Parts: sequence; structure tokens; C-alpha cells
Amino acid sequence: MATQAHSLSYAGCNFLRQRLVLSTLSGRPVKIRKIRARDDNPGLRDFEASFIRLLDKITNGSRIEINQTGTTLYYQPGLLYGGSVEHDCSVLRSIGYYLESLLCLAPFMKHPLRIVLRGVTNDQVDPSVDVLKATAIPLLKQFGIDGESFELKIVRRGMPPGGGGEVFFSCPVRKVLKPIQLTDPGKIKRIRGMAYSVRVSPQMANRIVDSARSILNKFIPDIYIYTDHMKGVNSGKSPGFGLSLVAETTNGTFLSAELASNPQGQGAAVLPEDLGRNCAKLLLEEIYRGGCVDSTNQSLALLLMTLGQQDVSKVLLGPLSPYTLVYLVVTRWMPVAPAASFHIQQTGTLLRARLTSPSPDG
Amino acid sequence: METKDQKKHRKKNSGPKAEKKKKRHLQDLQLGDEEDARKRNPKAFAVQSAVRMARSFHRTQDLKTKKHHIPVVDRTPLEPPPIVVVVMGPPKVGKSTLIQCLIRNFTRQKLTEIRGPVTIVSGKKRRLTIIECGCDINMMIDLAKVADLVLMLIDASFGFEMETFEFLNICQVHGFPKIMGILTHLDSFKHNKQLKKTKKRLKHRFWTEVYPGAKLFYLSGMVHGEYQNQEIHNLGRFITVMKFRPLTWQTSHPYILADRMEDLTNPEDIRTNSKCDRKVSLYGYLRGAHLKNKSQIHMPGVGDFAVSDVSFLPDPCARPEQQKKRCLNEKEKLVYAPLSGVGGVLYDKDAVYVDLGGSHGFQESEEVRPTHELVQSLISTHSTIDAKMASSRVTLFSDSKPLGSEDIDNQGLLMPKEEKQVDLKTGRVRRKAVFGDEEDESGDSDDEDDEEMSEGDRLENSSSDETEEEEDAEMTDKQYMSGKGIKRQKLELEEDVEVDLPAFADSDDDLERSSVEEEAEEADESSEEEDSTAEEERGILQSKAVREGTKRGPLQTNGVSDSLHLEKSLTVKKAALTTSDSGHCTAEEAFASEDESEENSSVSTEEEEGSENEKVIRKKFPRPSQVVSSQKLGSENLTEETSDIEDLLKEEEDYKEENNYSTETSGALKWKEDLSRKAAEAFLRQQQTAPNLRKLIYGTVTEDNEEEEDGDTREELGGLFRVSQPARECKHKADSLDCSRFHVEAPHDWDLEEVMNSIRDCFVTGKWEEDKDAAKILAEDEELYGDFEDLETGDVHKGKSGPDTQTDDTEEEVKEEIDPSAEESAKKKHLDKKRKLKEMFDAEYDEGESTYFDDLKGEMQKQAQLNRAEFEDQDDEARVQYEGFRPGMYVRIEIENVPCEFVLNFDPHYPIILGGLGNSEGNIGYVQMRLKKHRWYKKILKSRDPIIFSVGWRRFQTIPLYYIEDHNGRQRLLKYTPQHMHCGATFWGPITPQGTGFLAIQSVSGMMPDFRIAATGVVLDLDKSIKIVKKLKLTGFPYKIFKNTSFIKGMFNSALEVAKFEGAVIRTVSGIRGQIKKALRTPEGAFRATFEDKLLMSDIVFMRTWYPVSVPAFYNPVTSLLKPIGEKDTWSGMRTTGQLRLAHGIKLKPNKDSLYKPIMRQKKHFNSLHIPKALQKALPFKNKPKTQGKAGKIPKDRRRPAVIREPHERKILALLDALSTVHSQKMKKAKEQQHLQNKEHFKMKQKEEEEKLKRQKDLRKKVFRIQGQKERRNQKSSLKGPKEQLK
Repeated sequence: MATQAHSLSYAGCNFLRQRLVLSTLSGRPVKIRKIRARDDNPGLRDFEASFIRLLDKITNGSRIEINQTGTTLYYQPGLLYGGSVEHDCSVLRSIGYYLESLLCLAPFMKHPLRIVLRGVTNDQVDPSVDVLKATAIPLLKQFGIDGESFELKIVRRGMPPGGGGEVFFSCPVRKVLKPIQLTDPGKIKRIRGMAYSVRVSPQMANRIVDSARSILNKFIPDIYIYTDHMKGVNSGKSPGFGLSLVAETTNGTFLSAELASNPQGQGAAVLPEDLGRNCAKLLLEEIYRGGCVDSTNQSLALLLMTLGQQDVSKVLLGPLSPYTLVYLVVTRWMPVAPAASFHIQQTGTLLRARLTSPSPDG
Repeated sequence: METKDQKKHRKKNSGPKAEKKKKRHLQDLQLGDEEDARKRNPKAFAVQSAVRMARSFHRTQDLKTKKHHIPVVDRTPLEPPPIVVVVMGPPKVGKSTLIQCLIRNFTRQKLTEIRGPVTIVSGKKRRLTIIECGCDINMMIDLAKVADLVLMLIDASFGFEMETFEFLNICQVHGFPKIMGILTHLDSFKHNKQLKKTKKRLKHRFWTEVYPGAKLFYLSGMVHGEYQNQEIHNLGRFITVMKFRPLTWQTSHPYILADRMEDLTNPEDIRTNSKCDRKVSLYGYLRGAHLKNKSQIHMPGVGDFAVSDVSFLPDPCARPEQQKKRCLNEKEKLVYAPLSGVGGVLYDKDAVYVDLGGSHGFQESEEVRPTHELVQSLISTHSTIDAKMASSRVTLFSDSKPLGSEDIDNQGLLMPKEEKQVDLKTGRVRRKAVFGDEEDESGDSDDEDDEEMSEGDRLENSSSDETEEEEDAEMTDKQYMSGKGIKRQKLELEEDVEVDLPAFADSDDDLERSSVEEEAEEADESSEEEDSTAEEERGILQSKAVREGTKRGPLQTNGVSDSLHLEKSLTVKKAALTTSDSGHCTAEEAFASEDESEENSSVSTEEEEGSENEKVIRKKFPRPSQVVSSQKLGSENLTEETSDIEDLLKEEEDYKEENNYSTETSGALKWKEDLSRKAAEAFLRQQQTAPNLRKLIYGTVTEDNEEEEDGDTREELGGLFRVSQPARECKHKADSLDCSRFHVEAPHDWDLEEVMNSIRDCFVTGKWEEDKDAAKILAEDEELYGDFEDLETGDVHKGKSGPDTQTDDTEEEVKEEIDPSAEESAKKKHLDKKRKLKEMFDAEYDEGESTYFDDLKGEMQKQAQLNRAEFEDQDDEARVQYEGFRPGMYVRIEIENVPCEFVLNFDPHYPIILGGLGNSEGNIGYVQMRLKKHRWYKKILKSRDPIIFSVGWRRFQTIPLYYIEDHNGRQRLLKYTPQHMHCGATFWGPITPQGTGFLAIQSVSGMMPDFRIAATGVVLDLDKSIKIVKKLKLTGFPYKIFKNTSFIKGMFNSALEVAKFEGAVIRTVSGIRGQIKKALRTPEGAFRATFEDKLLMSDIVFMRTWYPVSVPAFYNPVTSLLKPIGEKDTWSGMRTTGQLRLAHGIKLKPNKDSLYKPIMRQKKHFNSLHIPKALQKALPFKNKPKTQGKAGKIPKDRRRPAVIREPHERKILALLDALSTVHSQKMKKAKEQQHLQNKEHFKMKQKEEEEKLKRQKDLRKKVFRIQGQKERRNQKSSLKGPKEQLK
């Protein structure tokens, strides 16, 4: 009567990361079918294959089966092992794509994770490494994942399509997470930012800063936007520039927005002034949405809430992003902590939903 | 007599009273106590040495911190489950008698036969579940895992038995519950002294096993076959006041000690196949942690199962309600033991069990009705389902023509089974699922519709009526709610019987019911049946509205005219529709699109579904082709799933209603005006109001369920090709970009002032809330601390009481009279003031006192409070959905696919435990553990011998490999476990969290002579990569030897193999080291190697390698509960090779070389030392071999010739010989005679000499006497003097 937990079956490649991450954390095998089955170019893409390879590197005893066309993936997770790892990410997606999942997995490894990721650090699709460093890292700290070895360092910047960036991420192991009570976002006390430019004139960054400030200064005077101009080997293989903004509140909530220039050879050239202004407006939009966790990290916060002890955690979120919604649905059927469910309350105001993780049985 | 008997008063010599008296006495004497001693003699207490003081301080601090445990969040439930008391002991020690006595002590009832657990109320706050544990090791292991308290019975007349020690060991491994020893058979001792000695001996042995000072209870003897009342009473007291420490495994896993089992299998299935898998429901108190529905559980002795359903039941053995009074009354002394045939009334999901004897509780009669009605309803059905279906009619809208089944076939594309109804008052659209056997009720529903309509009209006329209405509704609702619950239950029951629901349907249903109860206004339709249908309708209507707007508006315009709310929903949906075109959909859009897709699917059958979303829909809207066949099923699903969506949308609509009310009333068609503006507004609102997320997330069905079905229903062209249609948004969803960023769909124009103002308050520069505004806080502080009185001077300083505060005060006073809320606020203010003062005080005095430990503890306490408070106010039905079933609840668990032997061979004496499994505990993998053979186990354990482990909840047989870790981290396989040392073990089996203890036994069957527990240890690791290696030596022989190079053959078989080992270190047996260089062409597998010295042809070369050993993947759960009754302790799994050989009488053929033979030693023969001549010559003389051996033979020339005599000569010689002999004889005689004569002469001479001496002596005597006389005379004369002389 050997019982191997029956696998879960999904169709389509969307939310592949969430499914695989949750599968790894819950130990339940997954089978994903019909991955771009109708597409002219069927099967898994390079970046997804790279992601699966990364999972294989940080686990021990995983079994991965992909059919010939790459349209079906069977993943039986192994043990999260960690250790020192290096990984070359696909340049189709930025490192943020991989890093987001690593942030979910890193605290639960057997050995502390020290990983070097190479590829694109900033692009227009995924949350950039800058934003994750500014928002996700403080969020993890709220859960008690802290220490000297907890760091995310951008060694080199790489812009699409060439890539060539390098990021170092190390995270200690935490068996027990602290429950969080984030119900009051507080008021924004300062705005920080990072305007970066690689392989273009360093003046670009300054122009971005000026335009972004022109918008944000109407709200708060405490604004400081760093300019980061990388040179030589640290500047990757392709030119580009961009801006990421982070608003910090009195209660330690970080809200972020970012924009990057179009990749070389794709789309029209972007004026740095426009980029700065638009990014500032995006930040305002994010502030308008509110919540104690910014929209990119919602699902991370929810995941860590379920993985904590049996205690009640509370977090106030802005409108849920589609990614988070799907996360919730996926967790429903792939209980990380056994059938952890969220007690979702809608507050009287229109803006927010409050999510409470009840006592999932550890 | 009496006076004699009375004891004299004795003064207390110890205790608090005596001390007090002593103190008083001392005070009287003006000596004082210790404090004064310090004062009296300060020098004695002065600091002598700073170092010593520091040390002693250090030590006290160390001791203090040692006492600290890491604080954990208090998770004990408010209503704890009964305490599991396991009564354990060897046979015939008095277990059953003790249980009977305890039950009688607590409940005043007598149970004759006890089977399974017995739950009793033992006090105001405590219940006990008592269970007996025999000496079957399976039972012992299982019960040790769930026990809170163990009563360990020991036969004092016999002493300890093996079972006792085994059980103690099992307990130690699986967390140590409280253990209390009980000595029985004490009356068999004749002498008091012997009794005392035995008690002492047993007590000390017990203490070494448990802990020094462990409680050992004595039951002195039996009276009428029972223990003495007083002793049992005392024991009961001990049990009821006992405190328990939480055990890690127990608190982190949900578990149930089942006290009841029902077989729910369809009797028909059993009839057709008596061995079919069974469906079983088990009952018991949930303990440990929260249990979720659908989670994995393990039944020790049976196997792993998934919980198919959980529900909680009213507590059959509830604690007394009132806590105030001192003791329980008779009614509250409950006993519950269904397996022993004792219990009260039991409410099931589908039945009520009444036990008429033995219990006092649960005599509420009204609740018995459901079964009654169920039976009635079953009786009252006359026509068959088919007939009903044929005659059933469906109304799509309340005033539309009812549709029959024939219409369905014609129309095809419509969804005939749904009936949409609009509840005007709440503005919800409901879908009613009408199926065949509800025919008569559908008739009623029309009436209800009318009623609703009229209500709606009224509503339109006066909105103020609404509240009153609702209140009324609530009232009426409550009245018939109780009745309704029953009816609904009945209906569900029918459904249950008829259709096999998907597993999740039940739970959803429950949720639905609870939500109905929560929302009072929802229930104001007159019949409960209506309620659900109306709800469903709303959902449909909304979606329908979209369709109307887009595709087939004119077809169903009558529906539009029906109600205003329909229009409202339309606007919303429309809005959603317009925006959802963009590729990346927001939350609401996703949902809207889902709805939309529903419509599409229902409208066109040829549209194919490509993703899971569609599957959901498919379920909801079965194709017309399937309708007739699976009408019931469809409608069933409809009820469950559409209602989720309906709820989801409800809140939005509620909101909308308020807003749009004024505009909507003006005219039915007015909604068409500025549609786009409304759409935009609605969209924004939707954007902001998250839909009812709970429903969205937890209401939908599982994904990717019926994909295969899809394939079947897909239309085929000529049977060969499938029509591949471009998938729509659903496909987009399935394969779209996986990105966590939340893109802004409709950005605000942040250049506008009002838009900017909307978030201005989010910044510190913006406006703060009342209670956080800095100015306000300052003012408050002033108010608090403004007034103070200087005590020294007596001055009273008045705070600057601003005119505004004063006026406030006066105003408040005025207000107080008018409205009571002002009073409340004043009270609050006062409380606030108090709190602030307290905080100030605390801050002042507690500062520095609080340690890190205290802070941590405080934090934990806060968390515990938060945990409690979070779900406190919710009712159990809803609570269970979020946090699962909490410990302390009495639950009923349904399990499917249980082996039939479990039911057929059910023995209530054996405990049935349902142990919840953690996250990955259902998986199987490699487990590493640290293991030590038990010191009392006689044998050592062999690698690859199957052995039974008890880890976590499970007992299972597996094949472990033992290994030991070398200094370099290599894990080397061991053939046998070390005798007295830890070693590692790896096996393939269920994943268990690290740090879990385990024990191993060779066999669980029968009685084994010695201690049964073979090994104990702890789980270390769950590494999936195997690293155990064993030594492998490859040997080869040189076939050609050069100086230091040799050619070696026989080690490998091919050049490829050699290539793999190039550079490897090899060695000869004699110790010459070398290295493999390169493969040779011939012979195959030979290679060139270099050595540090020249080899001999006789040398053997070998290479030491390590070969990984694979762990056998064998996992066999011990299914002891499936054995027939009476043979439950005879489970035997895989046998060891040794056992097999013994059983079959096969003797192992030993290797001839390893046999022992008599040792024959040859005599050692040494060759002589030969030194070459040249060397000999060169040697110094000292070392030269000396030629002084024996003298050789005398040469012939030197040898004398032998003399040969003549016979004459010989005669002469003989005569001469004879003569000389005679002569010598003569001489000898003469010599002897001479010797004698000499002796005689000497004697005579001696005599003469003696006489001569004697004479001389006499003579000398005489002379001396004369001489003496003479002298005396002379002396006398000299004394006389001259006178004499003169004379």
C-alpha cells in the first residue's frame, strides 16, 4: 500500500512558476499538459526550461520528465537543498523572473542558498532586480528572514537583448517564520529611486531624475533618486536605461514602480524625460492602489503567511493582481501548508481586501 | 476508656504554623529574625570577595536561565478534547477492574463489558477517554502515540514484567506522556515487612525508568471483586487534577481515537461483491491540531487514506454548561462508549441514533424530525423519475411560458434546466435548477415569484420600506429556519442517494447553507427551496444579460422588462465586456470573461473548450444532448457552482443599487443613455471592489478535471480531423505570459489636481486621521499631563485649558442629556486617559526589568490572543471552512476504499486511530536515521533483514541498510549493527519530519521470549541521493615485470574500463604502491602500471574502490487490524532469510575455504649455514668458523691390534685371578681383626686414664684442704695480733 501522493494536473504554461514552486514546497508532483499545444512553436520556451533547470539545481532528487515536443511536463519535486549555485538565466526573461521564485523557496532550503544568476537584470516585463531588492527583501525581513547573509547584490547590469548582468543572492535558512500583522500601511515618508544607464550617455540618468522629481515633488519633498551608471564589463552587452522608484511609509511598507527603455532594436527610442515622468505616475498609481504590500509581492506575502506557523497573520492588500488571484486558486488545490485557506474579508472601503491566513496546521 | 484513647496534643515542630510561632517567640525575646541578623552582625554578611560574588551571581543567573523553555504560542483549544487515559499492564493484573472502578467512581454507572474507549465527564473542566491496552505490541505502539496519561498497572506480587518495560520504551520514543504506576495485588503479601520492601524496590526501579519522584499508586486490595472505594476515589482525584506537557508530535498533528465505526457501503455492492472496498465513517474527538477536509490520514494497522468528508457533530459527552457551581449533578455525569453499547443520542449527517438506556443527556425531541420527514418524503413519491422528467416544466423568467422537456430538445441551445429569478429587493439574480422530481415544487415557485414581484413593486415605491421589510424578513426567517434546515437536509439526502457527487460538492453545500443563514435578507423568500433557486437565477441572469446585450437581445426582452435590476447588472456586465478585450485581464475582468465564456459555451455547441475554465462551465451547463440523460447531475452541479458566482457578484450589486437607484427609477429604457460613461464608472468600481474573493477562490472547482471528456465531445470532421478552432481568451489565459507585474489598465491622469488630491493623504505631508494627528496628540497630552499638583509646596498648577476644550466639556455635558452616545464617548475618553496613565506608569517602572525572555513571552501571548480572537465571533460552520476542524470537536470522518477486512474483522478492543499526516508525510522516499540497538535486545541486527519500524503514526516493515560514517564523511555499509554504538540506517519508506523518534522490532507476531524492541533512534535526514558505499577490491596479476613497471592483467575486462581508472592508486599485497598508467592492446583489459619497487611474479596487485549500494525499495505497512478477530497479533510480513532457511530446513552451503580444519604444522627444517671459502678467508679470526667439532676416528695405523690368548694362558690368567681374589679376601679379614683389637686397646687405655685422673683429683683435693686449713689458721692468728704472738 505504498502511497505516493497523486499528482496534480494542469493545462497550459501560464503560471508555470507558481505551480512548480508550490509543488516543490508541498511535495506534490505536478503534471502540466498542453503547454502551447496550439502554438506554431509548441512546447516549453527557453526561459522556462532554464527555470526548470534552476529548480533541479537547488533541489535534491527531483524528477523532471518532458515529452518530445515539450508540451507536457511532469515534475516530481525533491528536497530543497540549497548551497552554492550558479545559474545562467535565459535572456528572454529577466533575472527577476527567476528571482521571484527563489525568494519563495530560499528560506526553506536545507543549506543556506548562495546563488549567482547571470542574464538580464532589468527589462520591461518582469520586476527588475532593483525593485525586488527594494521591496521583496524588506518584506522577507518582516517574516523574520534576516541576518548578515541575507543579501541581494547587483554585480553587473545587463539589459535585453544581450544580457550580461550578474546578480548575487544569498539567503539564510529559516525553519520558523514570524506571523505578520500588516494592517496599517502608514503614510509615505520618503521616496527613493535608482536611475540606471548602461552603455549610453551618463547624462540620461540625470535627465530621468529631473523629470521624475518634477512630478513627485508635488507630494513630498523627501525624494532622492540615485544615479547608477555602470561602465566597462559591468555594463552588460546591450545599451539601455531605466528608473525604479520606491516609496517607503512610516510603517515600513514599500511600494514600487519601474520603467525601462525599449530594448535595442525594438520599438521606438524612448526619451528619458518621458520615462521618468511615466514611472513617477506609475508610482502614484501604485500608491493609489494602496495596501501594505506592493502589487508585485502580494503573492510572496501570501505564500509566506501560509508557510508560517499555525498563527494568524493579517495583511492588508490593494486590489489583487491577476497573478495573486491565480496564486490563491493554485494554493487551493495544492495546499502548501495542509489546505491553508485565506480568510478574505472585504473592508468597508472600496479599495482594499484584507487577507488573513488562519492557522494552517504546520 | 475514652480518655485513654484520646491523643495528647502535640506541638507542631515544623510547618508554617510552627515557624510563625517561633518567630513570634523570638520577637518576644527581642532577637528578631534573619533581617535583623544582618543588621546585628553586618560584618558577617559583608562582601568578602568580589570574585566569588560575581561567580555566585553568575551561577544563579545560569540556573535561572536554565529553567526557561523557549516560549511557544499557546494553542490549546478553549474546549479541549477528553484526556486519553491508557490503562496498560500485563494480563491478569487488574486493568478491566480498574477501568470499571474508575467509571463507577466518576459516573455512578457500572459497565459490565468494556470494549473500546470510554469517555466520561470527570469534572467541570475535564473529560476522560479511558482505553485498555493489552500486551499486543501493535496495540501498545498505537496507544503510546495517542496517550496523554498512562496508568501502568504492575502486579506487585510478581514484580515487573517485560511488557511494562517495553511500553515504557515505546513511550520514550514517541514522546513521553505522563505515566503513573499503580501497584496491584498488594493483598497477597502476608508480612508487612516484605510488603514494604517490595514497594520500595518497585518504586525505585520505576523511578529510574520514568523520573525520580514519579507517582506510584498503591491499590491495597480487593473488596468484593473491586478495588477499595477510597483508593479509587483518590486515584480519580489525581487524574482529574493532573497537568500535561504538550508533546511535539501530538500537538503538530491532528488525530482521532475513534470510538465508533459505521459501514456506509452500499449494501448492493456488498451483495454483488462481498470483498468490495468499503466506505466507512468513524467518529471521535479531534485532538492535536486542526484537521482540514480532504487531508491525508493514516490509520495505524490499516493504511493511508484521504478523508472524503468531515463533519462535526454535537458533543455526545459534553462538559457541563455552567462553570460556577462546585460539583456536578447526576445528569452531568455522562458516560459515552458506543463500542461498549453505552452512549446517548447521536446526530449524524443523515441519521439520528437514540440509545434508550444508560444515558441522561440529549433529550431534545424536535431535532429528530429530519429522519421522520425523510421517510415521509420517500413514501410520498409516487411517480418514477422518468415520468417526472417528461412532465416537468421550466420557467426561464417568471412570466415566460414554461418549457417542457420537448422544448428543450427542439431549442437545443438554451439552458433549459435553469430558471432565472430576480429578487427585486436585494437586486440579485438567481438561477434555479429545476429537475424532474421537483415538479410539484416548481409549481410553488411560480407563486413565490409573484410574491417577490409584489415585494419588488413595493420597494420601488418607497425605499424606506426596505429596512422594515428586512427586519420582518429576518423575523420570519428565524422562525422557519429551523424547519427549513430539516427540509433542505432531506433534499440533500435524496440527492446524495441518487447522484454520486464530486467530492467537494458537499462541503460547498455546507458553506452555502451557512451563508444563507448569515445573510438574513437572503432568506426572505417564503420557501427555502425558493431561496436556492432564486440565488442561482441571479447569477444566470447576469450572464444572460450580457448575452442579451451582445447577441440575442430581442429574443428575451420580456426578461428585461421584468425588473430593473436586470438592467443594472447588464450595465455592469457590459462594462466588463468592453474592457476585457485587452490582453491582460485584471481580476474582475478575468471573472467577467469567465462568465462570458459561459455564455458562449452554452450558446454554441460547436465551440470547443480548451482550458480548465471551460470545464467548469461545462459542468455548469451540460449540453442539451446530455441533458436528458444527466439532468439530475447537471442541476446538481448547477446548484453548487452557480451560487458561488452569484454570491461573488452580489456585493457589487448591492453597492450599485444604492448608487443607481435614482436614475433607474425614471424609466425602464433610461439605462441605455450614456452607457459608456456608466460602463467606465462601473468598471472603475469593479476595479476597486474586489469581487467576493473567497467565493472566487474557494468556490470554483478543481482544474483540469475532465479534459478527456473534452476530447470526446469535440466535433470531428469525417472522423479523421478535428476542427482546430482558435482558442479564445481562455486559451490566452492558459498560455499567456507568466508575469507577476500588475499592469495598470486605465491609468489616472495624474496631472489633474483632483486626481492628485485623491492620494495626497497617503503621504506624511497629507492629512492624518483624528487619533494620529500630531497636533491633536499634543493637545491630548497637554490635557492629560497639564494639571498637576506640586506636593511639596501644595501649589496646584492648572494646565492651560484652552477655551476650545472647555467649551467641549460644556458641550458634552449638554449633549449627554440629549444622546447617550456622548456618554459613551466620554467613557471612552476616560478609559483612554486611564490607559495612557497606566502606560506611563509601566514605562517608568518596568523599564529595564523586562528581559528578552519576557518580551518573547509577551509576543507569544499576544499572538495567542490574536489567534483566538480572529475566529471567535464566527459560528462553527464558517469557522471550519477557514481554520479546519479544531481540536476538541466531535467529528465524523468518512473514508472510502477501506479494505473490507477492516469492517469484517472489526474488533472494538483494538484502538482505531486516525492520524493526520503533515505536508509531505504521505510521500515515500529515503529516510536516514541514527539507530542504536537496544541494550536489552539479545541479538544484533543485520543489514537487509526486513524489520518493522514504528515512525510517526505508522508501523511498517522495510529493509534498512546500516552504515557508519568514516572520518572523511564516507558512509560505509555495515553488515551488522554495532553492539553498543550508534550507527546510521537508511530505508525506503514514508517521509517523516526530521527529529522524529522511532523504534524497531523484528516481528509483531506472537510472543517472543525476550525484550521485543530491537532498536531505537531518531530520523536525521531525508536525503534522496544515496551515498552508502561498500568496499570493493579489484585484483590483478603481473604478467611481465620490468624494473619498476609491470604489465598487469585480470583486473579489468576492457580498455575502456582501464581508461576510467587511469591514475588510480594500486598496491600489492606486500605493500608496494603503484599507479595505473595506460591500457595495453593485448590481452584485453591489461594495463601498464608503475610501482615504487620491482614486483615479483607471485605478487597480487589490488585496487581499493567504493561501490554505492542501493537501498531496497520495500515498504510494507503492518496491517494488523485487518487480521481476523483473535489473530490480530499474528501479523507477519516478509521473513528474513534466516527465518526462511529455518522454516524450510535449508542449510547454507558454506564456502569450503572458510571451514575450520585441524591445523597440521610441518616441522621446520633449516639448512646449514654455508660460508663461501673466499669469504671465510677474508673473515677475521673471531668470526671464522671454528673447526673444533668432535675428534674424528683414530687412524688405522694408530689403532692397537687386539690380543688373542692361548687356552693355556687363559687358564693361567684365570688361576691368577682367582688367587689374587683369595688373597685380597684374606687381607681384608685380617684388616678387620686388627681394627677390632685396636678398638679394644683404645678402650682399656681410656679407662686407665680415667682412673689416673680420678686419683690425681682426690689427691689434689686433699692437698687443697690442708692448705686451706693452714691458711685459716694463719688468718686467725693474725687476727689475734702480736699479743698472741707474744704469748
